[in-house]
Amino acid sequence: MTRLVEVPAQFDDRSFDQFAGAFAEANKDGERLLFDAHAAEWASPYGLVGLLAAGQAGRRGGSAGSADRPLLTVPTNPDVLSYWTRAGFFREAAELFEIHGKVPRAKAAEQSDVLLPVTPVRAAEDVHTVVSKIQQRASAILASELELDPKATMGFAMALSEACQNIVEHAGTGGWVAVQAYHWRRKLARRVVVIAVADAGVGFRHSLEPTQSKRFGDRWGDAAALEAALVQGVSRFRDPGRGQGLAGIRRYLVRWDGKIAIRSGTARIAIVPKWDEDVPLKDGLPPFPGAQVLIIIPEQGSTEP
Amino acid sequence: MIQYIDMHAVLQQSVSSIYTDLVTRPTGRVVRERIEQAIAGRGETGGPGGAGEVTIARMDFTGVGCIDYSCADEIVAKLLRDRPAVLVLSGISEGHREAIEPVLTGHGLATLIERPDGTLDVLGAAGAAAVLLDELVARHFAARRPGGTYALTLA
Repeated sequence: MTRLVEVPAQFDDRSFDQFAGAFAEANKDGERLLFDAHAAEWASPYGLVGLLAAGQAGRRGGSAGSADRPLLTVPTNPDVLSYWTRAGFFREAAELFEIHGKVPRAKAAEQSDVLLPVTPVRAAEDVHTVVSKIQQRASAILASELELDPKATMGFAMALSEACQNIVEHAGTGGWVAVQAYHWRRKLARRVVVIAVADAGVGFRHSLEPTQSKRFGDRWGDAAALEAALVQGVSRFRDPGRGQGLAGIRRYLVRWDGKIAIRSGTARIAIVPKWDEDVPLKDGLPPFPGAQVLIIIPEQGSTEP
Repeated sequence: MIQYIDMHAVLQQSVSSIYTDLVTRPTGRVVRERIEQAIAGRGETGGPGGAGEVTIARMDFTGVGCIDYSCADEIVAKLLRDRPAVLVLSGISEGHREAIEPVLTGHGLATLIERPDGTLDVLGAAGAAAVLLDELVARHFAARRPGGTYALTLA
């Protein structure tokens, strides 16, 4: 028996809960999963790395054998397929899914809005590679297209580094990162740079439970864990210097009017800038393993919605 | 005596010759341990930095691309907490400063930055910075220049 998980036609952070709900429902009896993306019309970097995390979590039996891997039907729209390929999705998906449908061959790197294709993050060396690549690729775009002060580009690399380290230090498994610049018509009618990071690891609640659950008592759960990590700068390590990463990302985003949202388990927390209408904290969402981080930095200037 | 520490070289010796960024906790830990060994080694030689004499470590960040908050904490904050030497940071860019300053302020720590013209600037918590500068002047490691700026007295 195969269980179907539909990939939303517009797959981004807004439709992710719908996807997570379908995943949770299909995943509960241990049957093989089929992720159906044939009708996908668009996917944000958040959608792509989230789909990989679902593929990782949906693997059965713990081996790399093809029968243990979930199935994935690729988008039928050639433009969508081309973008997913250019964004590096299929390079990573090939290990996680049994792919059905013809995938175009990846072309040599070309100038595009994909600042960092979908890239695996498993160890500290991967974070070095990601930071090195992004500095070569993103500096000019951040300064010229987003009109960010050139000083902000190093802060961008710092934020990216800390977001990726979250996987290395807390997930207990590997994850993925992708960075893209695009014109965000929906919200701002201006360009944005988006960092998306996802893993299917243990999540914030599990990571912080040994040191934080008593402090929160009955309130302890995914939402409390996210609040402790993002708002209070709490870490699972007792070292007093820990917890700098998310605090540093927050400072950077406040300065450049950016947004961060983190989903883990059944909750999602966000630091919401004026131009956005997101809610600061949501609980009781469909469960999804690991943590998914979204960082948005808008083009500078007026950011009135 | 001032000990010169080339942060870019230490990074490349510690992790990989292809990296120019001080990022991640594990990298910060390895780099800090190398610096601690270098400072301790200097003390053991019985040379000018030997028994009873305080070492000033000039940490030159020239050639270092990015430093993240984790590395700023793992290297600069931990070295300041353990006090194996008085730290003076040089070759610091605005981006480096952005990572290091909030980390030090959060710990109530401070260090000195040496500008290209040799004048000193403080970085970190204001109270700790004032104490540090007073201490260096009292020990004749730094002196007030005409115009109110400070500079190291040792080369």
